[in-house]
Amino acid sequence: MSVPVVIRKIGRAYGAMQALADVDLEIGAGEFVSFVGPSGCGKTTLLRIVADLEKPTSGEVKIGGANPKEVRRQKKLGLVSQRPAVLPWKRALDDVKFTQKITQRVGYPADQLLRDFGLEGHERKKPGQLSGGMLQRVNCASAIAHDPELLLMDEPFSALDEMKREEMGEWFARELETRPRTVLFVTHHIDEAVLLSDRVVVFSASPGRVYEIVAIGAPRPRDRSFRESRIFIETTARLRKMLFQDLEAGR
Amino acid sequence: MSERRGKRAGAMGAVASTAFKVLLPVLSIFGLWYLVIYTSELPRFVIPDPKMVLLSLVENRALIAEQFMHTLKVAGAGFLLSNVLGIGLAMLFVSLPVSRNAIMPAAITIRNVPYVIIVTVLALAMGDGFATKVTVVTLAGFFPVLVNTYRGLRAVDPIVLDRMRILDASLWEVFVKVRLPYSIPFIVAAQEITGSASIVIAIAVEWMISRTGLGYVINQGMMAYEGELVYAVALVAAVFSFVVYSVIHYLGQRLNWAESNDP
Repeated sequence: MSVPVVIRKIGRAYGAMQALADVDLEIGAGEFVSFVGPSGCGKTTLLRIVADLEKPTSGEVKIGGANPKEVRRQKKLGLVSQRPAVLPWKRALDDVKFTQKITQRVGYPADQLLRDFGLEGHERKKPGQLSGGMLQRVNCASAIAHDPELLLMDEPFSALDEMKREEMGEWFARELETRPRTVLFVTHHIDEAVLLSDRVVVFSASPGRVYEIVAIGAPRPRDRSFRESRIFIETTARLRKMLFQDLEAGR
Repeated sequence: MSERRGKRAGAMGAVASTAFKVLLPVLSIFGLWYLVIYTSELPRFVIPDPKMVLLSLVENRALIAEQFMHTLKVAGAGFLLSNVLGIGLAMLFVSLPVSRNAIMPAAITIRNVPYVIIVTVLALAMGDGFATKVTVVTLAGFFPVLVNTYRGLRAVDPIVLDRMRILDASLWEVFVKVRLPYSIPFIVAAQEITGSASIVIAIAVEWMISRTGLGYVINQGMMAYEGELVYAVALVAAVFSFVVYSVIHYLGQRLNWAESNDP
């Protein structure tokens, strides 16, 4: 199950500082959309507004026709944060079950989910006994354990080293094939955005606005070989030019 | 055969090591004690011979045991109430932040008023009975529990709170399943302070106003120049404080997820 998301004229101000202004986006059910842009462009703020963790100053968000609060109350949202939001005293399996207990929704059997996330044999380990990559996989498993219709991901792999990040990205792309859902993905890594997304939304800063939306013209999931394709090379080059030349020049 | 002998030797080595660790501080204390006796010219009732102290402990065991039970009741009730008050207030402060502004200044004031004044005022108001002594122990012990528990309840990683909100957890679930476990290491640290402090404060209050308890026995011993009795009570109090601290420390390690290393 997945839901469409409509973002209309969203603005967010913190006192005199306008973080976001007039953001309009329409995201289809099952679509994977990445947000990229310079630091402070409001990508995470927009994600938090969709998640009902923050209120917009203006505009509205509709998730499958309902507002974010209603959708959150229906326990249809999942969040993967930059740092793992696991509970330090819980074993991996218990952490996944914790999500299901709180939401009273069992999307998938917890042990099966951990096996699918490559954590077989690590189910009874506590966070302190897991590597960064494993911990982020537990975090992902816990975030989707109740089968959310909309998954919000805030730089989920940025704390990992380059190799682990690539591995996690490819692995996550395959995972979405098994359990498709709408995904909003905030990242600083252009390669990651192009590899995973149907569309990449480029934000300009001060205040954050949609600068351009770039569609990736290749079917998902994409494996490592996609990095050598013409589409990947051209799209990443185009996005880099936007972020490092056009947006910088416009400042 | 040789393997069994090796194991036996290892076990004996461990016992010897533990015995050494326990005996060394005891021997140092007695060594220092005798050194003071033989090098200073203090009268014997100020610094009695350890043998006489042990003898007094044996001779007065019935009196000390009886009065020890009074102290234990005061310290135990005060310790319990310190926790109820400290943890309860910390929970209130976190749930209703405005209450912190209203109550915390009073708590800090109580903390900083010399206990002699608190004891005097309470004794005038409530008499010198059990309730007064327990109130003093509670007032002395609740502050570390309050401050530590409050810190612990607020030590939750904001990312975990975001997770709980996304999952639409109730306030009660956030409290019981997240805030309280996060605060356990902090609460355990407070217990180690408050546990042994409850005994010390209980004895001090008894010494000042009571006609029961170990504090009262110390008072009587001083008036009669029976230094051995005073030291015997001090020995009992010190050993008991140490036992209380060790038990709390052990239980704390079992409860404390931050120190738990079990796989």
